[in-house]
Amino acid sequence: MTQEELQALTVSKSVDARGTACPGPLLEAKKAIGTIGSGDIMEILSADEGTKRDIPKWANKKGHEYLGTVEDSGFFKIYLKKG
Amino acid sequence: MENKSMCLALFSGSVDKLTAAGVILSGAAADDMDVDIYVLLQAARAFKKDIADDSSKLAMAENVDLKEEFLTSLKKLNVKTWVEFFKEAKEITNVKIHICGLAGKIWDGEKLEDFIDLADDIVGISEYITATQEADVNLFI
Repeated sequence: MTQEELQALTVSKSVDARGTACPGPLLEAKKAIGTIGSGDIMEILSADEGTKRDIPKWANKKGHEYLGTVEDSGFFKIYLKKG
Repeated sequence: MENKSMCLALFSGSVDKLTAAGVILSGAAADDMDVDIYVLLQAARAFKKDIADDSSKLAMAENVDLKEEFLTSLKKLNVKTWVEFFKEAKEITNVKIHICGLAGKIWDGEKLEDFIDLADDIVGISEYITATQEADVNLFI
């Protein structure tokens, strides 16, 4: 997906994990994805560099779809679709 | 699909290694792994009620003179304490914490009540050996 398409997504859940370092964002994502339905979109906000690779790998392994990452000022937003 | 399993022999009672174990445990929890932790010698002391949450009573395994810097940095980064890591992992996935009976006795911990509430039971070495044979992943920290 393009950056514009990602930005235009309607998210069911937004997780702001910018205050935590690894493994905080991963666990926040893990807990939050259990609260949304299959096919719903979730975004995770993080400023932790390791998380940028960690969450997409985790998501694909757990049967969710990694849609892409949008860079913002000093943080980034990771988009997932629950499987 | 059945969950993968991890068996962790936790020997260290030092705050840096316990923190590392907590981070690994978090990853295992995110991955829905079943985890059995066997709390051995030094770690059993750290699991005692009067010690677990008091970092001044816990040693550092490496860079011992940098303990305060390490703890300050963890706090600044909003990293959980090792006990909080273990607690959160237990809330997310199937984690069982077994205290080695001998280790408990060495540190004057005869009963389960002597240890923090995260501990599930006190066991002998045979259970650990059986767990190592059944686990997909074995770690010693």
